[in-house]
Amino acid sequence: MTATSLHLELPTLTPEAETLRQEVRAFIAEERSSGRLPPPHRIGLGFDREMTKRIAAKGWIGLTWPRQYGGQERSALERYVMNEELLAAAVPVGAHWVADRQSGPVLLKFGTDEQRRFYLPKIAAGDLTFSIGMSEPESGSDLASLKARAEKVDGGWRINGRKIWTTNAHRAQYMIVLVRTSTVEGSRHAGLSQLIVDLAAPGVTISPIISMAGEHDFNEVLLEDVVVPDDALIGKEGNGWNQVSAELAYERSGPERWLSSFRLISELVDVLGPDARAASLEELGRLISHLLSLRQLSMSVASMIQQGQSPNVEASIVKDLGTKFEQEAVRVVRNIVSAEDLISNGRAERLKALLIHAQQYAPAFTIRGGTNEILRGIIARGIGLR
Amino acid sequence: MSENRTFFRETVERILADTLDKAAIDAAEERRLPSSLYDALVENGITLMLVPEDKGGIGASVGDAAVILRAAGEAAAPGPLLETMLGQRLLADAGIDLTDGLLSLVFVDDSAIPAEGETEWRDAAIHDVPWSEAVSHVLVVARSDSGARLLLTQADGWTVTPVSDAAGEPRDTLTAASIPVVSATLGDYDALLRTASILRGAQILGAIEWSFRRSVEYAGERKQFGREISKFQAVQQMLAELADHVLASAGITEAAAEGLNASLAAAARSRLGDAADAAILITHQVHGAMGFSLEYALNSRTRRLMAWRDDYGSVLHWRRALAGNFAGLTRETFWPAVSDAGLPGAA
Repeated sequence: MTATSLHLELPTLTPEAETLRQEVRAFIAEERSSGRLPPPHRIGLGFDREMTKRIAAKGWIGLTWPRQYGGQERSALERYVMNEELLAAAVPVGAHWVADRQSGPVLLKFGTDEQRRFYLPKIAAGDLTFSIGMSEPESGSDLASLKARAEKVDGGWRINGRKIWTTNAHRAQYMIVLVRTSTVEGSRHAGLSQLIVDLAAPGVTISPIISMAGEHDFNEVLLEDVVVPDDALIGKEGNGWNQVSAELAYERSGPERWLSSFRLISELVDVLGPDARAASLEELGRLISHLLSLRQLSMSVASMIQQGQSPNVEASIVKDLGTKFEQEAVRVVRNIVSAEDLISNGRAERLKALLIHAQQYAPAFTIRGGTNEILRGIIARGIGLR
Repeated sequence: MSENRTFFRETVERILADTLDKAAIDAAEERRLPSSLYDALVENGITLMLVPEDKGGIGASVGDAAVILRAAGEAAAPGPLLETMLGQRLLADAGIDLTDGLLSLVFVDDSAIPAEGETEWRDAAIHDVPWSEAVSHVLVVARSDSGARLLLTQADGWTVTPVSDAAGEPRDTLTAASIPVVSATLGDYDALLRTASILRGAQILGAIEWSFRRSVEYAGERKQFGREISKFQAVQQMLAELADHVLASAGITEAAAEGLNASLAAAARSRLGDAADAAILITHQVHGAMGFSLEYALNSRTRRLMAWRDDYGSVLHWRRALAGNFAGLTRETFWPAVSDAGLPGAA
C-alpha cells in the first residue's frame, strides 16, 4: 500500500515459478555450451528464428494461454520469471516477442474463436512473427490522429495508409494495423478498428528504416488498396482504441523495459573485478539498487495482474522508471569504464562494443512503445491530477 | 497485509491522530518530547512490540515494526520511537533486563569501548545520540572483534553537549570521564545496523509519502493563471516523476523489511536516498514559496528527510556495501546473484 491511489503488493513467486526458472537456466546453459548462444556485442532483442523454434519446442511461447490454443495455462508470474531469465542472458527472442506479448493476448481477449484457433497455435509453435501497425508519419504520441483508413467492401475491407516505425515488418508474416473505419462526430477515439494484414498481400510495400545504431529493425509500411477479408477484423468495428489501450498496458511493465541493456551491466561487473575505487562502487551500487527496485516493482505488477487486478498506472510507472534506468545504466557504465580505465589499448573489446552500441541505442529507450512524457501524463491522471 | 499488522497500523495511526499536533512537533525543537504520544505508545505496548512475548513484549516482526514506523514518519513524529523499539529488542535478545520507558540507541563503528568484562567505561565519548535527556538509558551498539557489543548506560550519567539534527531534534554529544556499563555480546554488528537502517528507511518512506500526497492535494487547491496548477503539464510531469520514486522505494523498502537480506536492505536505503532527494526538490517546487515557511507543515517532513537520509549508514555507505556484494562476479554469475537478492517467494 502506498500514497494516493498507487497500490502495490509484495510479489510471491510460487515453487512452480522457481522450478521453471531452473529449467530456463538449464536451457540457456545448454545453448551456451553448444555454441548456439554466443555472448552478444550488442544490446536489445536479437532476432533468431531458430532460437524461437527451440524456445517454442519447450512450450515457452504463449505460456499462459489456454491449452486448446497451444498454450500451457501457466501463470503470469511464471511467464515473468521465464522472460527475465531469457532477457538477462540476452537470448534473441525478437522473432516471437511481439506475438507472445501483445498480438496473441489481443486475439485471446477480443478475437473470435476461429481467429484464435488459426493464429495462436502457430504463434506458440514459433512459426509466426507479428508487427504492430500503429504509428504513422504524422501520428506519433497523438495516435488517435491517425489517417490510415479501411472502407467496407464486399466480403472485407480495403485499407489505405502509411504506417511507420514498424518493427520487424520485413521479417513478419502479419501486422495488426490500427485504422479508421468510421467517423464519429465529437470523438476521435471512436471509429478506429484493428485489422490483421497479411504482409504478403498485394498492395503492401515495406521499406527499411535504418536506425542510428546501424540496424534494420524498423520499417515504413505502405498500404495501397490492400484488401483483407471480413474475418481480419479483431473485436468490434470502431472499438479499436479501447482494444489498443488494453494492449499497450500489457507491454508496459515487462522486464524488457529494464533488462534490454542488462548485458552491458553484467559485462562491466565481469571486467571490473573485485577491486574498484569507492566512487565506482558508489555508482555501481546505486545502479544495482535501482535494478533491484525495478525488479521488485515489475514482479509486483505481474503478481497483481495474476490476481486479476489492473495495475495500469503502476505498469506505466515501471516503464517510465525502467527506460530511464536503461539510459542511466549507459551513463554509469561509461563513467566507471573511464574512471577505471577498462577499455583502452584493446582491453575488454566486448564491453567496448556493447558500450558503443548501448550509447547509440539509448535515446530510443524513452521513446519506443510510447514516450515517457505520455506515460507521465497517464501517471498524472492516475494520481488524480488530470 | 496480515490482520495483526493492520491492527498495529490502525492503532498507531489513531494514537498519532489523537496525540500529535503541529505544536507537539514544533516543541521537539525545544527538546520537549511529545509525552502524550509516548504515553499512549507505551500503554499500547508499541514500544515493546519487537520484544518476544515470553519477555513481556508482543513478539512482532521487523516487517510489523516497519509498518508502524512508516506511519510515524508520515506523521513526522518526533522522539526516540525506533530507538526504543529496537533497543528493547536488542536488550531482550542479549539477556539484559529491559529498562522502563524510553531508550536512546546509537551505533559506533570505530570508537574505543571498554574491554569485555569491564563494568566502567572510561573517557567515554559518543556522538549523534538521539534524545539523551528524554530517555532513561542510552544503548550503544559497538563493532567488536566478536561481532557486536551492547553497552547499556544510564542516560543521566553522561555530560550532555546539546546538538540538533536538521529537523531540530536532539542529537547530542555525550561524554563521561567514567560511566558504569552493563555489556553483552550480540551477534553480527552489520546485521543489527541493517535492521536499524531498514526501520529508519520505513520512516523515510512515510515522510516521502506524506510530502507526495500533500503536494498532489496542494496542486489541486492552488490556482494561478485562473486554474489549478495541477492542470499544467510541467507540474503534472514533476509529480508523476515523484510518483515513480514513491512506488519504487515503497516496493524495495517493503521487500527489505520482509526479507531482511543484506542486498535488499542496502538497495532500499540507496533507493530511498534518491527518492528523498527527489521528494525534497519536487514537493517544494510544487509548493512554491509556501512550502518554505516554517508555518506550513511540509518542512516538518522535509527536514526529517534531511536528518534521516544518511542515518544508520549513509546512502553512499549502503551503495558501496551493495556493490561489494556483487563486485567480483562474472558475466554469467551476476544475474543469478541479482535474482537471488530478491524477496524469496512464499508458497
